[in-house]
Amino acid sequence: MSLCKNALGTLLLFFCTAPALLGQSDTPILSGTVQFLGTTNAGSTFYQPVIVPVLAVPLGDHFLVEARGEIQGFIARENGTTGPYSGQFIATFDYAQLDYIANSHVTISVGRFLTPFDVYNERYNAPWIRNLQDAPILFAIGTRTSGSSNGAMVRGVAVARKKFEVNYTAYFSAATTVENLGAGRAAGGRVGIFFPDKGLEIGTSYQRFLQSGDSNASGFYLLWQPPSVPLDIRSEFAHSPSGHGYWLESAYRFARDRRNMSGIGRLQVVARMQQYFSGTPLAGDSLPTADTNRFDFGLNYYLQHDVRLNGSYGRQFSSLGNANIWEYGITYRFLFPAWPGRSR
Amino acid sequence: MKTRALTLAMVVLSGCCLASVAVPQNTSSQKPTAGARSTAQQAKEGERRFQANCGRCHNPPELISPREVKAVVQHMRVRAMLSAEDEQLILKYLAP
Repeated sequence: MSLCKNALGTLLLFFCTAPALLGQSDTPILSGTVQFLGTTNAGSTFYQPVIVPVLAVPLGDHFLVEARGEIQGFIARENGTTGPYSGQFIATFDYAQLDYIANSHVTISVGRFLTPFDVYNERYNAPWIRNLQDAPILFAIGTRTSGSSNGAMVRGVAVARKKFEVNYTAYFSAATTVENLGAGRAAGGRVGIFFPDKGLEIGTSYQRFLQSGDSNASGFYLLWQPPSVPLDIRSEFAHSPSGHGYWLESAYRFARDRRNMSGIGRLQVVARMQQYFSGTPLAGDSLPTADTNRFDFGLNYYLQHDVRLNGSYGRQFSSLGNANIWEYGITYRFLFPAWPGRSR
Repeated sequence: MKTRALTLAMVVLSGCCLASVAVPQNTSSQKPTAGARSTAQQAKEGERRFQANCGRCHNPPELISPREVKAVVQHMRVRAMLSAEDEQLILKYLAP
């Protein structure tokens, strides 16, 4: 009994003092985004309050626990364009994974992670990072059923030179039907090459979906931020039996340095065009069932203290009906330590 | 007797763990001007790497305290496929 008390006391002493010493290096962080979005699509207006918290807990130099959730509201008129407003909230886990950073070339992740098909899902789907409110039409290719996978993934930088870096990822996911944690049974990977001096990255993805009748999806992406111009070009092409298409987005920030928050330097103009050609619809892919073209034009304005205002207009052309799409919102990004401690 | 010995061993073990965490901070503060010069160069290179990698997707956070930096950069190493060298240099830039 006495041994237990002493051991407990010693462990408590250790855990109480360790955070203070570790405080400068291993402090977990809680970051994320709070948004309020409004959309009018073909005359129907709806509002979406969104909270996306992100937790990152470093455990020494080699382990990291990271998780992102999403609590999203959907408030709309009961009959589309008429009737009283009513709403519902949905909570989902985008990822909750344990990363083992084995060495400079290999990181192994287990748990729930974002499906690494092309780059939009992993890099640009975070609310603070996306330039336009809506995800591209072909986002669902390679990311069904939920955009997340449950299983294991290996990733990293295979080759790092001054002129170029080759990155890769490969994963396997098990089928899961648990509510809010759904995933498809699939395997796939991605390879990209990044030229830092040119600000250019190109890459390709492949996925084998291993349920509901096996099917393949493939993709190609190009990202270019020329160092001398504050231009941001993002593009993806994807193909699956459901259909194929591409999107090309260009954003221009009126300041070369993103940290420039003076006057017009806060403003960003964005344009995106998309074409989608429908194929044979697959279960759970949430892709349009008819050929669809869409053009969007948007303005983003970055206020101080990590607040952004956005507004955009889009026009969608489809044999199922054309539509005007107006979107607007305010986004706040936050970041703070997940536990209190001293600052250096 | 046995209990005391075990308790003593646990205290020593805890002390060693805490000391191993604290030691690197002491050694780095003992490096004189050459080290400081090198750190400044690394921070400058880190800024370049930050712009080339992180700046592709987002603005730097306006306020980021030194004790948050490791978690942020480690998180981004995994998410944004940063190389080990990029991670170290960006750490130097964000928390020189």
